[in-house]
Amino acid sequence: MLTGFTITDYSKKTEDLTTAEMTDEGVKKVLQRHRISGNCHIITFQLEFQIVETQSKENISSVITDLGIVMEPTEYSELSEFVSRAEERRDLFMFFRGLHFFVKWCEYRKRTFTHFKDKYPDVVHLPEGPYSHCMGIRGASCPEFELVIVWRIHVDMEGKVLPQLDLLPGVPRQALQLDRHGVVDTAPQGFRSLLGVLGIEGTLESLIGSMQ
Amino acid sequence: MEAAKTGCPDDETKRGVLAHLEGLEAQMNRACKRSEKPWRVQARESALGTKIRELRRLRDKLKAEVKRRQQTTEKASLASTECDQTVETREQEALERKRESVKAILQAYRFTGLSGKLTSRGVCVCISTAFEGNLLDSYFVDLVIEKPLRIHHHSIPVFIPLEKIAAKYLQTDLQHFLFSLCEALNAYSGRKYQADRLQGEFAAFLTGPLQRNSLCNLLSFTYKVDQSSSFRARLLYEDLTVTLPTDVTVTPQGTEALSALREEQRAAHEALFRTEPLHKVFASFAREEELSVSVAS
Repeated sequence: MLTGFTITDYSKKTEDLTTAEMTDEGVKKVLQRHRISGNCHIITFQLEFQIVETQSKENISSVITDLGIVMEPTEYSELSEFVSRAEERRDLFMFFRGLHFFVKWCEYRKRTFTHFKDKYPDVVHLPEGPYSHCMGIRGASCPEFELVIVWRIHVDMEGKVLPQLDLLPGVPRQALQLDRHGVVDTAPQGFRSLLGVLGIEGTLESLIGSMQ
Repeated sequence: MEAAKTGCPDDETKRGVLAHLEGLEAQMNRACKRSEKPWRVQARESALGTKIRELRRLRDKLKAEVKRRQQTTEKASLASTECDQTVETREQEALERKRESVKAILQAYRFTGLSGKLTSRGVCVCISTAFEGNLLDSYFVDLVIEKPLRIHHHSIPVFIPLEKIAAKYLQTDLQHFLFSLCEALNAYSGRKYQADRLQGEFAAFLTGPLQRNSLCNLLSFTYKVDQSSSFRARLLYEDLTVTLPTDVTVTPQGTEALSALREEQRAAHEALFRTEPLHKVFASFAREEELSVSVAS
């Protein structure tokens, strides 16, 4: 669909909450129970929410009074926190927006990691498969050294989705002792600066190049 | 046999009559021989009659059989038409149910915040906004599917950076364009909602008018802290996609230096405004006031 979401099922139940008093004042109150099932790429969702619609002479107000979200697969830990927050705030639209951007970033991460895996199959390895959140770079010449790129997709309080990349150098203890200039310690910071300059793909490419 | 017609009168006459009679008899015999004897005729007649009756019986039997078969075929065809009709009705009902279900699903897209309707020229996208579960205004963008893609008309407020977002994403990534617009509109709706509630529900706390811009991303107001003092707050939402301020300054009204307690309060308020929606902050102020009043009394 246009938005990247596909809704596969929808049902709605309506309940009239108007009391006699309300009718006297010309107010109408209705409770709607909605259930939506669908998916966004490989993530499927099932939502159940309630909307209370109050109609008075002056205006109509609709308020989401309850929101429950179930998602599959559940391995995306970054998402579960975001989902709980969306449920707490009963923010339906934020959930969908966040989901959209999260999935986009996930797909981009997968494409990027897979690209490098295909290009350098001996040097790069993805411990969790194509949807892995980290990528390991191990040079054939020094297999004890490993650079692990951790790429998390973080969803903040407002539902904004931001990538968070970190470098974890895996260096054997003996090598650390030899590291007089503290290169290993400063590596993560250097990595972040490099990201700012070369971007994600450029940075990863250069790192792989350095390990070959 | 020709009788001599000449001769003596009596004998010859007698002989003539007799001869004539003989002749007639002979004629009759010949005729009898030619046609069958009566008892044979009867027998033959009865045989034929029986045959006729039998044939008639057979004919009636066959007629009945034909009629019976005709009736059976009619019934069968009627039944099959009925059967077809039942199948057809059931199929129609299933189609109708499916159509209702599809219509319902199309309606459900509203709840994702972004829904679209095909138009003659392209698509009209409806963007819904909400804040903290409150469903707020909806906006639409009417897109014409052409190369390049263009916006035919829209209901986006003028202070939302539509052109900027369009310039960045409209031609290259339509989804990104729509979701960015969604973000900006939802954030604006949320900020507006907070400002409206402050002005409405918590007006009693304000010591002056609430100064706000149309984008609701710059708010300035003075509010009562207690009976004697008030603070001035300035909230800036530099990021147009957020509903919490990026920059908050709370300053005391008046020129006197703040006591330690007041300073603590000021800092606390600053932190509050930065982390909680505006109306929630004032709701907590209201609760505090109620508490202090009840404690005092």
